[in-house]
Amino acid sequence: MLQVRDLRVSFRTEHGPVRAVDGVSFDVAEREILGVVGESGSGKTISLLSVMGLINDPNAVIEGSIVYKGRELLGLSPRELRQVRGKEIAMIFQDPMTALTPVYTIGWQIAEQVLTHNAVSKRAARDRAVELLTAVGIPNPEASVDRYPHQLSGGMRQRAVIAMALSCNPSLLIADEPTTALDVTVQAQILELIQKLRRDFGSAIVLITHDMGVVAETADRVMVMYAGRVVERGTKRDLFKAPRHPYTWGLLDSIPPLDGPRPRRLKSIAGMPPSLLALPKGCAFGPRCRYRFDKCGERPGLGGSHGHDVACFLSPDARAAAWSGRLLDTKAVS
Amino acid sequence: MNGGAAAPLLEAVGLSKNFTIGGRLSAGGLKTVHAVDNVSLQVWPGETVGLVGESGCGKSTLGRCLVRLYDITSGELRFKGEDISHYGRRQLRPIREEMQMVFQDPYASLNPRRRVGDLIAEPLRVHGRRTQAEITARVRELMGLVGLSPDQLERFPHEFSGGQRQRIGIARALALEPHLIVADEPVSALDVSIQAQIVNLLADLQDRLGLTYVIIAHDLSVIRQVSDRTAVMYLGSIVELGQTEEVYRAPAHPYTQALISAVPVPDVDRARNRIVLTGDVPSPINPPAGCRFHPRCRFAQDRCRTERPALRPLADGRHVACHFPLTASAVHPVGEAVSA
Amino acid sequence: MLGAIVKRLGQMLFVMVGISVLVFLIFFATPGADPASRIAGRNASPETLAAVRKDFGFDRPLPVQYALMMERLFITQDLTSFVNRGWKVVPAVIDVAPVTLSLVVGGAVLWVIGGVIIGLVAAATRGSVLDRTLMMLGLIGVSMPVYWLGEVMNLITQSRFHDSWFFAWVPPLGYKPLTSDPVGWFLTLVIPWITLATLYMGLYGRVLRANLVEAGQEDYIRTARAKGLSETRILVRHALRTSLITIVTLFGLDFGALVGGAALLTEVVFGLQGIGKLTYDALRSLDLPVIMATVMYASFFVVVANAAVDLVYVVLDPRIRTA
Repeated sequence: MLQVRDLRVSFRTEHGPVRAVDGVSFDVAEREILGVVGESGSGKTISLLSVMGLINDPNAVIEGSIVYKGRELLGLSPRELRQVRGKEIAMIFQDPMTALTPVYTIGWQIAEQVLTHNAVSKRAARDRAVELLTAVGIPNPEASVDRYPHQLSGGMRQRAVIAMALSCNPSLLIADEPTTALDVTVQAQILELIQKLRRDFGSAIVLITHDMGVVAETADRVMVMYAGRVVERGTKRDLFKAPRHPYTWGLLDSIPPLDGPRPRRLKSIAGMPPSLLALPKGCAFGPRCRYRFDKCGERPGLGGSHGHDVACFLSPDARAAAWSGRLLDTKAVS
Repeated sequence: MNGGAAAPLLEAVGLSKNFTIGGRLSAGGLKTVHAVDNVSLQVWPGETVGLVGESGCGKSTLGRCLVRLYDITSGELRFKGEDISHYGRRQLRPIREEMQMVFQDPYASLNPRRRVGDLIAEPLRVHGRRTQAEITARVRELMGLVGLSPDQLERFPHEFSGGQRQRIGIARALALEPHLIVADEPVSALDVSIQAQIVNLLADLQDRLGLTYVIIAHDLSVIRQVSDRTAVMYLGSIVELGQTEEVYRAPAHPYTQALISAVPVPDVDRARNRIVLTGDVPSPINPPAGCRFHPRCRFAQDRCRTERPALRPLADGRHVACHFPLTASAVHPVGEAVSA
Repeated sequence: MLGAIVKRLGQMLFVMVGISVLVFLIFFATPGADPASRIAGRNASPETLAAVRKDFGFDRPLPVQYALMMERLFITQDLTSFVNRGWKVVPAVIDVAPVTLSLVVGGAVLWVIGGVIIGLVAAATRGSVLDRTLMMLGLIGVSMPVYWLGEVMNLITQSRFHDSWFFAWVPPLGYKPLTSDPVGWFLTLVIPWITLATLYMGLYGRVLRANLVEAGQEDYIRTARAKGLSETRILVRHALRTSLITIVTLFGLDFGALVGGAALLTEVVFGLQGIGKLTYDALRSLDLPVIMATVMYASFFVVVANAAVDLVYVVLDPRIRTA
């Protein structure tokens, strides 16, 4: 349904061009949940903002191809894009506390979106708002529809934002770190809600997060990004049971386990993500990779088998050796 | 667990901190926020105590009360046996050298107009007992200790990444060779891979320098990794306190159980026994009567609605504030492995 | 709610009382302000001076004099001028108030509408030539001293081009009351309105533009864009509503001050006998009762305007309502 090919986004700055997204390709099928994982500077948010055409910076240069239901989105006029935004593809953002306009009620804001894309009466739009608030589990929807954002808690506001995003039955919902700013018990509620909505509304969801736990629980397929590039891509099972890229290994190792033996020290990835102004030649992860060898001076392409792709030059044998070495390491430190 | 020490390094007895908002003439009148409500806690030398809870539970406020950044409303606070509950600024000065705080936001807790070397040296200057040369040498030593290059003394905070800034904050806290460090969300503003580095750094420093930590965080995985004992807070009071392993493996308080079960775990084989709590955390201005948690508790009974449970010891040494603590036969919160 | 209102009224009263005391004390501390000698005349003999003092009560202690003056000003309303004997102050103030009010209200309508339009257009076309031109014009408007602009307007409309069809309708300087001559009232005020508004239009336009641009960075604007709303709607319905708060604050302060007499220079230039002119004359002749009356009048309006602004906030921003 959504096919992104070779997406490149760079920004002209006084220090030179900054390549925020450097040749990213991925697909989203109907009704599937794609988890996009990465840390700051990985380009995950900017890639998805370009899908929506929400990059307003005049210094931005966006190239590549974004095809939605057979239609190329890059290059559409602003007016055509506006018809897609909110109606076919919807997006919700990280901080629910500031996501809604403070001076209008949530019912009014939801109705506004409905009325923008559908020729219905105000009454019908309001009814739809109540219906949506019920679907997302906001208590007392008839009364809540007339409340202002500041009268709701963070979790409730995020539900209202989700309700608003789904108001026109979009085929694709992009959620950018929707639970990062919320408490863990509220996060659990929202993630359950997102999965329920996938069942009830039939939307595909792209879930951007830095939390591997969230991905393991919610996503069908996962894409790992680093320094603006895709480094690994596959089903959830493939990625967690047999991850292939050293960065993915590093990410998984960095998470302190919630049960089982407690490692004496966490296996952390040395160093820091590279500055996007001065990306290393060849593999972007090279400077921090324990398994680096001479071939890594060239940029690895994304390739693989059975839907599990990785951008790494390690041969399958070398990878298996590194992997078992890593397991031994983990056992040694417990 | 006391490491053989006779007395705790820091002890809070019935500590409470209230804030008042509004005034007699404003809507609703004078309101009291019971941010920290009758908390008793001992911190033994050499250990790490983790304070965990969600937003509004009072953990940050408690942390600040422990280092006397706030005045306490009632109760006692003892440091090395000395009662510092009502000390004024001058009396606190020598105590301040021995307990320090590391703050959450590495972007906001460092003065952007000062050079990094000055920021780290500041505590040394304020407690003024060294010459300039000694100070510079100490700053370089500290930077090396936290993994920063001493050549970067002259740089400004904005030239460093988040993880590096947090290291600067830690170096500053270590300047006066404190015994106790209270770290308020030391890693939550950082990327996952950097979090691991800082967690490791804190552990290394504890081994090398014999530090005692109180770590405050909302991230349960981080708390489990770093703490010897864990205190779970809800609406201003401690609901469970005990050895980390036991608290996580078989939580006795329903809230702890729900909290642990809510954390998403990066393991595709586990079916989650997730306990989803209904509703939101109540406001600390109007806490529910009886047990503060009863409106959201699956096991709530009549007694819970009227009588507030005190923090009582269990047979295994843990403390729980619950009338009906969960026994070991309760469901493991992280869930059983589903298949091979 | 009631508590808040009572508290507010109490504050207003406190401010006004404080100002009156301050004015009173300053007057008596001002050199050359001995009212007795002013009333008695230049070369009055000491006996005359003493008699005048007794007559007017200047020999009484200050707090008593203050109390008497306040009583005469507010309660019996027969306070008379020190300079023009027998001239009742309170009616004098009431007489000239409509002039200032007409000038300021008309100017306010012009500058608010103009300023909002300038701000909106500039923000919508941010970075373009139009935006920069509007900001430049605004800056010029703010920089031109109002008395200079007023005189230039007079020069153009009253003398140089008065005979051309363009400005032939401009009547001579002065004020015509609304009730007796509406058309004349309107015509005499058009040029003063434009003069007064130019300054504020530039200011409000620039401030609003800055606020709108800043609001455009907010998260809720990003959400609005993600909803597929048009840029115009986002600007007018979302960004403007939240930026209005600053404008309303400014307006409250400016309007209150102007009605109280800060439009003095405009009044002088255009020959309008308003509060500003009255205050000015009283200051020159050190006529304490008139000064006191005009200052009270001015402070009342400033205080009321600020209270009104606070009320408007409650309407504009729902977050304040529940606080």
